[in-house]
Amino acid sequence: MIDPYYLQQLTIGISLGMVYALMAIGFTLIFGVLNVVNFAHGEVYTIGAFAGIMAIAAFGPPFLVIVFIVLAVGALAGFGLERLAFRPFRRFSDEASLKSRAMREATLMSSLAMSIIAREAMELLFGSEFQTIDISYLINKPIELGPVTIVNGDIIIFVVSVLMLGGLQWLLKYSSIGLSIRAVSNNPLGAKYVGINTDRTIVLTFVIGSMMGALAGILVGLYYGAVFPSMGFIPGVKAFVAMVMGGLSSIPGAVIAALVLGVAESMSTTFVSSVWADMVAYLFLIVTLVFFPQGLFGARRERV
Amino acid sequence: MSAMLEVADVSRRFGGLMAVDGVTTSVGEGELVGLIGPNGAGKTTLFNLISGFTPVSSGEIRYRGEKISGLKPSVIASRGISRTFQNLRVFPNMTVFDNVSVGAVGAIGQSPWQAIRSGSKRAKEISERSWEALEKVQLTRYANELAANLAYGKRKYLEIGRALAMKPDLLVLDEPAAGLNDSETAELAAFIKELHAGGLTVMLVEHDMGLVMSICERIVVLASGRKIADAEPAVVRQTREVLEAYLGVDE
Repeated sequence: MIDPYYLQQLTIGISLGMVYALMAIGFTLIFGVLNVVNFAHGEVYTIGAFAGIMAIAAFGPPFLVIVFIVLAVGALAGFGLERLAFRPFRRFSDEASLKSRAMREATLMSSLAMSIIAREAMELLFGSEFQTIDISYLINKPIELGPVTIVNGDIIIFVVSVLMLGGLQWLLKYSSIGLSIRAVSNNPLGAKYVGINTDRTIVLTFVIGSMMGALAGILVGLYYGAVFPSMGFIPGVKAFVAMVMGGLSSIPGAVIAALVLGVAESMSTTFVSSVWADMVAYLFLIVTLVFFPQGLFGARRERV
Repeated sequence: MSAMLEVADVSRRFGGLMAVDGVTTSVGEGELVGLIGPNGAGKTTLFNLISGFTPVSSGEIRYRGEKISGLKPSVIASRGISRTFQNLRVFPNMTVFDNVSVGAVGAIGQSPWQAIRSGSKRAKEISERSWEALEKVQLTRYANELAANLAYGKRKYLEIGRALAMKPDLLVLDEPAAGLNDSETAELAAFIKELHAGGLTVMLVEHDMGLVMSICERIVVLASGRKIADAEPAVVRQTREVLEAYLGVDE
């Protein structure tokens, strides 16, 4: 019989992994269409969490309504981010410019700038400490399953994430938005010439990715009861690691890597103190970069 | 003959280089026109100007009487001009069917709201158009194969299929025979003629003189960005400037 403690850690690990996966997808989708890393993604996560607790403080809506508010705010954040930090650098639309180093470095700086501005603005507005959240909204009510105790947040995170991931897969595979996103990731110029509006496709990608990031933020905020302006940094790094491990632009790869990362992290607290658990992600990153420079699942991808 | 596409005194400058220098020509409804010229003559640039990828420096391009120079490539494509590329631009990690569907989506337009309802009439039209285009290029049995797994020659047809899924009135082919062997080129020539016979207006840039001479009704010759000839193949073959332009260029 397995020690219930491990099962408990496994559940926590899966929850963590699911959250990383939601965030990693934002990175992955955006990397796919633009070949750039969006450094403001962690702040989208924070904004999602803040939007959620502000809604709770203002009118205490039911949980599902909070989810929709957060998704809407996330969509708005993604839209604004693309307009402010990415589109201004896309003045030339040929492929060389679209995927050039200059473009990559410029947007790297501009998205980093946006992230600092957003974080500092939130600190000025709300202070840098933990925000108070109505306790009844926290998703850490214990549920006993025989010898194992999990919390309702584990189930909520799992269900919500699976629905989002499933929805995304459906969208990418069967809708024409999804078809456009995949086409732009495969070959932006080819897509443009067959009449795909690449600018709109790029905005939509930011919107979708940011909706998932914002949702991850509120889920974690309510799971741990910890919402603060710099909360997005560590998960942002973890999701980034998951993206790299997954092969940069492979969504299934990023999801699997995120789950592996989450479980490895929560299991490692058994052996080392939880302060060191963060090191697991960095260790994974280094191992991946040294031994699998293409990522664990990205080896077959043809890069432009 | 009504001109479908009019290129009026169009120039394009890249820094100090006149890539296209005051070219005036037109393509009539139902024509099969070839565009030839030595390397660096400005053929591909002219194509890029027509498809809106490169903005014109001066002059105007009109399609069915309306100015299209200055419009976005996606808008020009949806007006009925679709093109293929010298170096293939298929979507390698998508299935053959999805590749072609992108063309159909691009042509029908992608309103974000409609796009989500995949069971709609529109979705049905996209899938019908895609199958039709796949049949034309005879790739139906590869529909679920990744484009990256197709042989080079087949990918050429896939790209043409994707352009056909847009139901264009004017098909612009950029060096379709590049990289094909003689028998493949002959096959392609027959295929282009068949498309043309089906009512499509075709414009093609080609290095392969044999192909152009054998299938085109009219040939436009560029050299150093200028138009030096615009006539039937038999006439072009005997134009002094053309012969000079090609001297020393192994073709």
